Parts: sequence; structure tokens; C-alpha cells
Amino acid sequence: MDLLELWAIFGPGVAGAVFGAGWWIWLDAVVCSTVTVPFLHYLPGIFASLAALMFNCVRKEDIDYSPYDEGEWRLKLWLFIAYVVSFVSLAGSAGLLIQDSLDKSAPSVWTGVAGVLQCVFVLICGLVYWTSHPE
Amino acid sequence: MFSASILLQILACAIYNNWWPMLSALMYVLVPMPCLFFGGGSTQFLMSRDGGGWIDAAKFLTGASAVGSIAIPIILKHAHMIETGAMLIELVSFFIFICTVLCFHQAGLDDDW
Repeated sequence: MDLLELWAIFGPGVAGAVFGAGWWIWLDAVVCSTVTVPFLHYLPGIFASLAALMFNCVRKEDIDYSPYDEGEWRLKLWLFIAYVVSFVSLAGSAGLLIQDSLDKSAPSVWTGVAGVLQCVFVLICGLVYWTSHPE
Repeated sequence: MFSASILLQILACAIYNNWWPMLSALMYVLVPMPCLFFGGGSTQFLMSRDGGGWIDAAKFLTGASAVGSIAIPIILKHAHMIETGAMLIELVSFFIFICTVLCFHQAGLDDDW
């Protein structure tokens, strides 16, 4: 069988593994942190997971790529909102990383780095799951 | 082989008199659950692409649970709650567990013919 077939078979499993890796990295940062991590730092990971769930709720057959017809604008609006949520979560985690590196009493830099890695892995998991479903 | 995996699990705890690595055994219970719930007790669906949404969700959960088995020893080591040797024994135990699952899967495939 060809590579696309293999990707369709193992893609969802790989997506789950990447998702688990992202959240376990964040758990490692929280456990090893010497100061209490405020709830604000949890939000980028939660929103990234939510965004990955949002754009995988769409069935790819329903997307209309025709430049002539009006198409299903609600579907594209939903995908756009999912993109905005993922972008905001990545930007938020990067902002928290910079803030943590400047402030001495904040959690350590590893917490910020783990937050960014968590968002990246969770969004990659969404993309892996999306691409493993051929049309 | 499964017994060897569990034996290494207990050894990792007993040698260092530290029972935190038993948390990793919880993930061993989680890993086969998607097979039982969505796949009808077989590992056939893992090699198939025609299952649909629920089968994909089962694959996703299997991958996430498997990563947990690797992540727990590493996080415990990073938090200095277990020794490096215990972490390595845990990872070897998980590797043997995976070999057990693959042998079970191969035996299941042979039964289909």
C-alpha cells in the first residue's frame, strides 16, 4: 500500500500520541514548578485543545472550493473562528513565556516553554487528524 | 511476556523502595480500553482505515494512553521522585508490554485465516 494509505490508518493514533505528549509536557512543567502556576497559564492549552476539536468537527466533503457559487459560508466561518482561537492561544502562550522570563517571582522559563510546546503539539495533533482523513 | 512486563514494573518499585512508578501501571489499564469499547475486543481496527469516526476516536485514545505510559516515568524522574534506574526499568517494561500487544495482534490476524 502507498504512503497515503498508511497515513490514513495510523494518522489518528499519531494524533492521539501528539496530543498526549503536549498535555504531559505541560503537566511536567506544573509539577516541577517551584511556585504555584496561576490558572491564567492553563488557558492557552485549553483553548488550543478546543480549537483542534473545532476544526475537526467539520466534514471535509462539505467544504465547497468553487469560486463561482456562494458555497457554505457558515462552514468557512466556523473554520475561520477555529483558526482565530488557535492563533490567540499560540500568541497567548508566547506572551506568557516572555512575561515569565522577565518577572522573577513568576513561574520559571520552563513553564513558559512548556506552555508554548503544549499549544504547538495540540495544534499539530489537530492537523494530523485532519490530514489523515482523505476526501 | 506480559508477566515479565508486570515483574519489571514491580521491580522498579521494590529495588528503590519507592512506589510512585505504580502510577504507570494505571496507564497500562487504560491502553486496551479503546480496543474493548469501540473495536469489539480485537486489534483488527488498528490496521484498518474504513472504521469511520468512532474507530478514529479509538485510535486517538490509544495513542494518547500510550504516550501517558512513557510520560509518567519521565515526569517522576524530572521531579526527582524516582531514580534514573527506576525510570529506565519502567521504559523497558513498557517496551515489553508493546511487544506483547503486537504478538497478540499478530496471533489475532492469524486466527482470521
